[in-house]
Amino acid sequence: MTVQTHRVGRLAIEVGFAFAVAMLGVGIIGFGVADAWVSNRIDASLRHHTAKYLGSLDGSGATDRAVAAKIVDWQRRKILSERTYLLFRKDGTPVAGRLDIAPPAPGFSNVEFLGGGTKYQSGRALATKLRSGSLFVIVQHSEAAASLNALLPQVVLSISMVALVMGVGATFLFAHLTASRLAETQSTADAIAAGDLSHRIPMDRLDGIFAVQAESLNRMLDRMEELVRAQRLFSSNLAHDLRTPLTRLRSLLARGVGHHDQNSSSLFENADRECLAIINIFDALLRLAEIETGRHPSNMASLALRPLIEDVVDTMEPVIADHGSRLELGRLDDVTISGDPDLINQLLVNLLENVATHTPSGTSAMLSLARDAGDAVITICDNGPGLPAADLARVTQAFQRGSASAKVRGSGLGLAIARAIARFHKGSLDLSNRWPGLEVRVHIPANDGIILPVDADSAAA
Amino acid sequence: MHFLIVEDDPVIAEHIVAGLRNRGHCTTLAQTGSEAIRSLDQRQPDAVILDRLLPDVNGLTVIGHLRSRGDQVPLLMLSALGSVKDRIEGLQVGADDYLAKPFDIDELEARLSAIARRTSARSDSAHLEVGRLRLDPSSHCAVYRDASVALNRKQYSLLAHLIRNADRLVTRSMLLESVWSYSFSPTTNIVESNMSRLRTALLDLGCDPIETQRGAGYVLRSERCT
Repeated sequence: MTVQTHRVGRLAIEVGFAFAVAMLGVGIIGFGVADAWVSNRIDASLRHHTAKYLGSLDGSGATDRAVAAKIVDWQRRKILSERTYLLFRKDGTPVAGRLDIAPPAPGFSNVEFLGGGTKYQSGRALATKLRSGSLFVIVQHSEAAASLNALLPQVVLSISMVALVMGVGATFLFAHLTASRLAETQSTADAIAAGDLSHRIPMDRLDGIFAVQAESLNRMLDRMEELVRAQRLFSSNLAHDLRTPLTRLRSLLARGVGHHDQNSSSLFENADRECLAIINIFDALLRLAEIETGRHPSNMASLALRPLIEDVVDTMEPVIADHGSRLELGRLDDVTISGDPDLINQLLVNLLENVATHTPSGTSAMLSLARDAGDAVITICDNGPGLPAADLARVTQAFQRGSASAKVRGSGLGLAIARAIARFHKGSLDLSNRWPGLEVRVHIPANDGIILPVDADSAAA
Repeated sequence: MHFLIVEDDPVIAEHIVAGLRNRGHCTTLAQTGSEAIRSLDQRQPDAVILDRLLPDVNGLTVIGHLRSRGDQVPLLMLSALGSVKDRIEGLQVGADDYLAKPFDIDELEARLSAIARRTSARSDSAHLEVGRLRLDPSSHCAVYRDASVALNRKQYSLLAHLIRNADRLVTRSMLLESVWSYSFSPTTNIVESNMSRLRTALLDLGCDPIETQRGAGYVLRSERCT
């Protein structure tokens, strides 16, 4: 879960940042456009006023004197205006107008002047050559454009910041909503991983792509369940179809046992024993399939491992002793798991049977139980020859056995079943060489706080 | 004893009939579920051996029918379906025991006599005493005359089970089921090894009443406990 939150966080920041960069771009372009629009308006206004001014003086009347007189008159009437009118002589000396600037080039240009006090202001000028050679100039104080330019960086920056925050927020929200929709898919997947194929992703709260995805996953699960059912039917049919002829075979062989001819009789006995071996492998295979597919009728309960292990050691110690080896109990912590006692018994018996059948006589084995973080750890280690490195990974698979033990009878499924049982309990089984000897470690999540007070109970009772 | 065998496969049916007759029992054979019910209406056997898959009705249905009309005849279900789940199903509908095919006749006979007896003499099952050999639950000791020997949990349960079934054949798989409650078949000789420890302990007491029946199981002889 923390990993997932972390992933969502990084995604949100990345998306928010990209969003902010995009908004920055949009801001710059937007302000460029606005700036150009304002400039166009000013230029049009300047052209309009120039035409109006000179037009009113009617062609030949547009003499320097007339223009200067009109400027002076206009200045008197309009104290405050965003426009200033100027007239320069051909040599550049000012004739009329109150603005301290050098004569600009004919046409549009940007000018700077001292407005009011000491502060430079910028403006837009349109200079027009009169027939006399003098220069008539209108300057417009583009305050709107100036303030727009002054605002630009701040506005763009704040829009980017808002975009960043909103982008991160929106992504967090989106990721959260996505995660909550995916949570049901995930719990379904977990249930299926645990072997329950009947689970389906609930569709009632999903829409859009989630619904489409859930539908296709559910279709896939339908198909998988169908296949598993077919396989299950196949194995139980196989069970029936093989058991019946094998039973008949044993019935026929039984007639031969006790035959007056000694040789034939023992031949029949051997054949019967082989027949039984086939059945045992078959049973083990069916059992493995049952556990792996979660079809074993499990009797899950809070299970104190210590008494169970003591019981199994009581059972298996004579077996290992009869093979000329020794089994000892090591340290036993009190750990409780959620488990099926029959399966855990089989797990331990299978592992200890391996010690009995796959190690030379004289081997010492030790079984211990410890608590490690949230797990119960069952360890069986021996001082036998261990396993070649290549065999370590192989032997827990069905029908695989160590290369040295090819002559030993057995279904070849003992470790595979043990590992399937560990996995059924959401745990793991690992093999490692200890030089000398082999160590088998079984981790199963502990489930404590429920059955620990067994001693307290019996003391109270 | 008289047994009703309900089995449609001729080879297996003949094997069971011949095996049980050789051991001194009477048998009646029915090949279908309806034939079995007709036969039970005429004569009540000591126990019934019922195949789970019959040509007309399912064996489970036959048990359900018998139990619903109050027929408590001891019943052993025989089946090619041998998984734990199948076994639980069989026991749940009212079978007294469940045996997967293929099986030994000795195993079948031992289980049949166990369930046939269960109905007649159930009360003495708590009695942990045979002759002068007894079990002391408080100290987990076996006591014979004045001597006693401490047993571990497995040896104690093993002897207790044998005492409860004194003079009856108890097979290895019956012991694995009732003493160990294992639903799987171990590949090593768990029963033999533990039995030999128990017998060593009993020899120290001067009383070894357990007899090994080759290939079949064990019998605790009460006459050897005097």
